[in-house]
Amino acid sequence: MAAAPQRHAGVKPSRLEEARAQFARYKEDVKERGKPFYPYAMFHDTVMSLVVVSVIVGLAAIWKWTSYGPHHDGTHQGLLGPEYTAPADPGTTSFVPRPDWYFYFLFYLLRIFKWPESVFLGTVGVPTICLILLFALPFIDVRRERRLLHRPVAVVAAALTILSMAVLTWKGATAKEALASEVIADVPNWVKAEKLPQNAVPGARLFATAGCTACHTYLGTGSSNLGAPDLTQIGTRNLGIDFQIRHLKCPSCVVPGSPMPKFESLGEERLRQLAIFLEASKGKQ
Amino acid sequence: MAYRRPPTKAQLRRQRMEALVNYPLDWLEERSGLVGGVRYFLFRKVPGDVNWMQTLGSAALTAFIVQAVTGVILAMYYKPTPNEAYRSIQNITDHVTLGWLVRGMHRWGASVFIILMFLHMGRVFLFGAYKYPRELNWIVGVLILVLGMMEGFTGYLLPWDQTAYWATVVGINLNGTAPFLGPFIAQFLRAGQEIGADTLTRFYSLHMMLIPGGIIALIGLHLYLVVRLGVTSPPWSKEAAGMALADEEPQPLRPGLTRPVPRGIAAARPEAGGSK
Repeated sequence: MAAAPQRHAGVKPSRLEEARAQFARYKEDVKERGKPFYPYAMFHDTVMSLVVVSVIVGLAAIWKWTSYGPHHDGTHQGLLGPEYTAPADPGTTSFVPRPDWYFYFLFYLLRIFKWPESVFLGTVGVPTICLILLFALPFIDVRRERRLLHRPVAVVAAALTILSMAVLTWKGATAKEALASEVIADVPNWVKAEKLPQNAVPGARLFATAGCTACHTYLGTGSSNLGAPDLTQIGTRNLGIDFQIRHLKCPSCVVPGSPMPKFESLGEERLRQLAIFLEASKGKQ
Repeated sequence: MAYRRPPTKAQLRRQRMEALVNYPLDWLEERSGLVGGVRYFLFRKVPGDVNWMQTLGSAALTAFIVQAVTGVILAMYYKPTPNEAYRSIQNITDHVTLGWLVRGMHRWGASVFIILMFLHMGRVFLFGAYKYPRELNWIVGVLILVLGMMEGFTGYLLPWDQTAYWATVVGINLNGTAPFLGPFIAQFLRAGQEIGADTLTRFYSLHMMLIPGGIIALIGLHLYLVVRLGVTSPPWSKEAAGMALADEEPQPLRPGLTRPVPRGIAAARPEAGGSK
């Protein structure tokens, strides 16, 4: 072994020098006292992998056997949800959009921001900032300390991150959904409460069944899962029938940045009914 | 020189057998060095006190392999057109032998893969294993996580049922709200003005070729860095490999190092401490 260079008296080694020295010590220690990956660590890895595959097979089996309904298909709501829902139909808009569970935390973020002015903060702003922080972590936390009790900031940050993601996921999972069959029952109440004219009633029924209430609320009915605005008194803004129709056909063309889907497939006639209903909605009378 | 007995017939036979078995390995080793590489991978040293939590990375790899294998099988039966997609999914689920198992494993393997990646990331965070010299491997890991989430997003559309369709409509619209780039991202994902046949084939291609290709390449890089830099020992480790900081008391210097050797180790291995 080469002669030991003595530490320079009074000169503190730089952070990088310390880290290099520590890593060299780590390498040497592992070489001298470590154990070979095979069979020791590999045994643990193999056991864990078998557990993972068993869990996946188990989930597949539960999914299959609890969602196989009386009609001999997989549309039955089992413990883990149906194996498939009805075929995709761009024409029926009465479906509640729902992502896979691991996107719930993103999905729920949307409710925290106002549409449409600041919705991009929820859709891309906050996630992008979080992602940049995640990438930058090794350059933010440059201390060599690894023991948890000596890293209070890191521990608190981790705990807060886990907590907020868990809360957002839970909120997203339990967010109220509006079923068209229940919403339609409220239409007479709307007519009474808002004193809607007769020609607005077909639009109101359409509003209840065409999926609008999957994202919007109206007199407390409907779901605000995605944080879309309440439409109880949208008519007081006097946007005009033509604007409403144009907006329904292509929301992002009229309100840049709006994440609302296009409802062009409803057809001119029904879009006009919807527009009349929206314009007649002046809030509780 | 001492007299050497000539080998017996049995010994000769044994030698010939060994040569026969070793021949393909030697052939491969001479031309590629792969045998040595595998041997290095298997017999490299890891810290003596590695923890069960450190199996989460290989568990995530296992989940990814499950996704790859079941995905290839699903691709044999799945037809990525709006007219056929739903029926082919029904066919796989209800009629193809063990099709329900393959699809179920793919569907739920995705969730398991995502969970394991998050747990693995949490473990790396708690162990402080992203610190020098493993910063690059942290970045590679985060990239794999992002690509894994993108796999989830693109795969969700493929059954072409109502859930798939409407979640993707909203998902694409949400991407579209990004400032400046949003409309281009949305346009790229939709492959047109409306979600339709081109969107489906685009998602299919991204889901089974581009993104998995990226994940496989990044996993290769990830593993290379793990082997090159070594496995971290737990932060509570008493060995020098895991020691975060030396004790406060002045310690004898170890040759070539600027930091004192921890007391326990210097005592256990006197040759390591002090200058010779």
